Order: sequence, then structure tokens, then C-alpha cells
Amino acid sequence: MSVIVLEDAIKRYHTGGEIIEALDSVNFRADRGEMVTIIGPSGSGKSTLLNMIGLLDTPTAGRVRLNGRDVTDFSTDELTEERRSDIGFVFQDYHLLPMLTATENVELPTMWDTEVDRRDRAVELLNRVGLSDRLTHKPPQLSGGQRQRVAIARALVNEPDVLLADEPTGNLDQDTGATILDELTRLKESENIAIVAVTHDEQLVEYSDRVVELVDGTINT
Amino acid sequence: MSRRHPLRRFPSALMAWRNLGRNRVRTALATLGILIGVVAIASLGMATAAIQQQATANLEGLSNEVTVSAGPDNPNDGISADQVDDIERLAGDATVVPERSNVTTLSARNGAETRVSVTALTKADAMYNVSRGSISNRLRSGALLSQADARRLGIEIGDPVTYDGKIYRVQGILSSSQGIGGQQRVLVLPLSAMDNQNYYDSVTVLAEPGQSVEALTANIESSFNTADEDIVRVRNFAFVQQNVGSFLSTLRLGLLGIGSISLVVASVAILNVMLMSTVERRGEIGVLRAVGITRGEVLRMILTEAVFLGVIGGVLGVVVSAGVGVILFEFLLGSPLSAFRWQSVQYLLYGMVFAVAASSISGLYPAWKAANERPVEALRD
Repeated sequence: MSVIVLEDAIKRYHTGGEIIEALDSVNFRADRGEMVTIIGPSGSGKSTLLNMIGLLDTPTAGRVRLNGRDVTDFSTDELTEERRSDIGFVFQDYHLLPMLTATENVELPTMWDTEVDRRDRAVELLNRVGLSDRLTHKPPQLSGGQRQRVAIARALVNEPDVLLADEPTGNLDQDTGATILDELTRLKESENIAIVAVTHDEQLVEYSDRVVELVDGTINT
Repeated sequence: MSRRHPLRRFPSALMAWRNLGRNRVRTALATLGILIGVVAIASLGMATAAIQQQATANLEGLSNEVTVSAGPDNPNDGISADQVDDIERLAGDATVVPERSNVTTLSARNGAETRVSVTALTKADAMYNVSRGSISNRLRSGALLSQADARRLGIEIGDPVTYDGKIYRVQGILSSSQGIGGQQRVLVLPLSAMDNQNYYDSVTVLAEPGQSVEALTANIESSFNTADEDIVRVRNFAFVQQNVGSFLSTLRLGLLGIGSISLVVASVAILNVMLMSTVERRGEIGVLRAVGITRGEVLRMILTEAVFLGVIGGVLGVVVSAGVGVILFEFLLGSPLSAFRWQSVQYLLYGMVFAVAASSISGLYPAWKAANERPVEALRD
């Protein structure tokens, strides 16, 4: 069964009296253990699609299913709850909190669940991405590649079913990008999760199991 | 290795604390604003408490007094002995002190001269307190002198003063705070010093606790005076205390109002600081929301920041105000520790409560605004 499914998803925006159709009847799915890459020119709706897969945005029409459950009509707080338990995010700009240590940044998504202590899992994840000697460093003391690895560890701390990556290698050089992609490929298998990435990066496409091309809000197959 | 932060069990508090630590100057300035507000409220409140205590202490001696003197229609040049008997009958348990008065010039051996009013009476112990010496024998032979004049003339206990050709030994120096005219310049002599006067200039009735000064006044008035004839003039000072009391309440309200304005200004500053810092952290808060932190948790985190500012500013303000209070009470009353009586120390509590309340209210809007930002939009820029 697919982890995340979009059925005939349509997204329309109203801007200045004009209606813009960002997504037009998009069907999408991602399964456990696969890396799906979404490519396409700027303004093709890649970010809108990723936001919808990440339950950050809801479609104007169509359905969204997470692990078989229809979450389309969930409230803001219910969607937040789903993101917290089932989805991990990796951003192009890492988006780590500068005043928290690497370990605390990894714990962040679960920080408010005071009854479950994810400290051990956070440390273990940081070990796994090769940052065992950077646990108490704060983001400004880390390199770009190290920051992105902290971000990946953060995306996995809640044991998600799907990990979403928005240009994960966009700010990294070729070599560092390759290590990050090796890391993601290993984690995809060991954690048995679906990875959905949005990119312009040819290198990332090589690591993908499947590529989806988006043009003008529709999927080119 | 995995050392836990002490606030780990309170994630909103931990995050708020870390956030405040990011821009220390801004945090310090916002805290300073609150501190000034608390000091304004608390020290103005404590100042009125000090003034009130001082006024109460000064007025205490007056509030139970009824003074009877000759009215315009009195046939005599004062109150006669018979009238004193009548007053005593009307006064019941109250102490009745008839007195004669005059003015004289006292001179010292060193040539210094001073003009004082002279009061001749019995029962001086009921009317006066001495700071040095004593009032023995109900003042049958000695004299009491006000502190200022004793100092000016270099007169000590046991020294002689002359009035009307007779010598009296000073046996007590009057305490300086005595009634409304605390620094009255007066020489107190036995009644016999003015035996040449037939009438008394005034009669003071000292009401016992529980006796109504107003009723006593009315009784004496109605038994001597008629609608057409004012034989005696009867006055009491209860109204003075009431007037001073209500004046002080107004003063206190006014001063607390001024103090509150500074706290309102401080909370506007907090509002500004919190709005700025949430706008700056817009993307960051978007990330929090994206990774599954709920709106309520974001709201609590930012509200906690505002509350921390209020608590830190409030605590520092209370410490500073307590210092100000001690200095105020030392200057106004001469007893610094009176600052910690409830009457004044309550303003420290009010200052603290106001500080926390004002900063919480100021934090509400920024917190609500940040919590309800859509993460998609916050992450876009």
C-alpha cells in the first residue's frame, strides 16, 4: 500500500481577480522504500505539490490519503498532528534553530511530547549520519553538509513513513551532495520509508527510483 | 553526553529561554522597561504609604481632642471655673484639662532671646510627651520646654527659666512631633503660674477610646449655646484626620495612576519587541509548524517569552523598589524597616502582578499572530 496518495488533486489560487491553477488533476503516489523525485521548470507547481504531499496545504478539489486514510478534510490541528507523527521534512536552507544544539534540533519535532523522551533516538540518528562528535554543537558551528545531516536526522526522529526533501542538495557542493544522497538512500532502505524530493539537481535524479515531471501543473508521463 | 537541560520537561519554557538569550540587548531593554514601570508603581505606592503613616502618627494626638474656648457672646473673658465643672460633668470619663495661656520672652545666659507661648495647666502628662526628662507630679512645680527653644537657648534639664518673676526648673523637653504644629514653640508651666488670671483661655477634653468626639462636641455645644448665643466655641480635629485621609487616598490614586502609565508604556515596548522578534523568526516558526508543533504549542512558547520578560523585569523591579522603599521610610519616618509592613509592602506585590499581567497581555497578540501564520507562507520567504 502506498504511504501517500493524491487523487485528482487540483489547487487554484485567487490573485488579483485572476484564478491561477497551480495543480490540475494531479495523481501521485509514493511507496515505502522508494525515492520519488519531482522535477520541472520554475512555476510548474513543484512546491505546491510537495506542500500538499506534506499536508502543509490542502487541495481545492481531489483527495489526499495518508496510509490509506483520507486526510483531505482534516482540520489544521489534525493535519499538524499527522505531520508530527508520520512525516519528516528536509529543507534546502536546512532551517535549523540556531540557539539549539544539534541534538536538541533533532529532538525538536517531538520536544513538546514530554512523556516520550527521544533523546536516545536523536543521538543514535546523529551517530548514523556521522555526527557523533557534533552532538552539542550549535548550527552556526557546523558546515553546510553537517547542517543538512542534522536536518535529515531531525526529519527521522519521529519515525516517519514519508520524508519530504525540498532541494536537499541545493546549497551543497557536488561531493557533499553525493554523501547526503548516499545517506538518504541508506536510510530509505533501513527505515523503510518513502522519500519524495523536489529538485533541479541532475545528480539527485540519478539516485531516484522514479522521476515525476511536472509541467504547468500537470504530470508528464 | 546526553545531559538534559533543567527546563527539558517544560519545552515552551526551554524554547522561550533560549529565544530570549539570542538577542540579549533587546531582552535587557525590554526587561528594563518593565523594571522602571514596577519601580514607578511600587515606589510611588510606598511613598504614599510612608506619608500616610507619618500623617497618622502626627494626627493621632489630635483626633481625640475637643477644645472649648470662649464664644463671642460669653460675658467673661474666658471659661469660668463653674463652666469647667459643667464641662467635666458632660465629659464623663474623658479627661478635662483647663489651661491659661500667654506669651513671653525667654532669655538665656548667653544673651539669646526667644518668644514662646506659655501654657499653664494641670495634668500636663495627659497633654504632652517628653523626649527627655519626665513630667513628674503632674507638673506642680517644674516646666516643660519645646525642643527647638531648648536647643536655641542652650537649656538643659534642671536649668531654670523665669516667668513673671518666678523661677521654674525645666524638668522635661517636649518631643518634637506633637500634634499638627509639630514644632510648636511652647513653655508649659503649672497652672499656678497664671493664678492672676480669673478665667481659663481654653479647656481641652481628651476623649477616652470608644467615646465619640463628635457626640462630645455636640453635647457641650448644646448645653452652653442657644440659637442666638454662642457662649462657648467647641472644636474638634476629627475632620482634619478625615480630610487628610481622603486627600491621601486621592494622592495615592493619582501617583499609582502615573506609575501605571509607565507600566503601560513598558508593555507597549514588550508588544513591539515581541512583534519584531516574531516577524524576524517567521520562517523559523513556519518550520516549527511544518515539523508538527501545534498552534497551541507555538502560542505557549511565545507567550512564555513575554511572561519571562515580565517576571524578570518584575523581580528586578521589586528588588530595586524595596531598596527605594527602605530609603523613603528612613527619610520620612526614620524607621527603614517600616517599609516591610503590609501597608507599604503590598505595593511591591501590586507592581509584580501588574508587570506579569501587562507583559502577558502584550504577548498575546504576537503569540496569536505567530501561531496562526500558515506554515506554507512563512516558509516561502
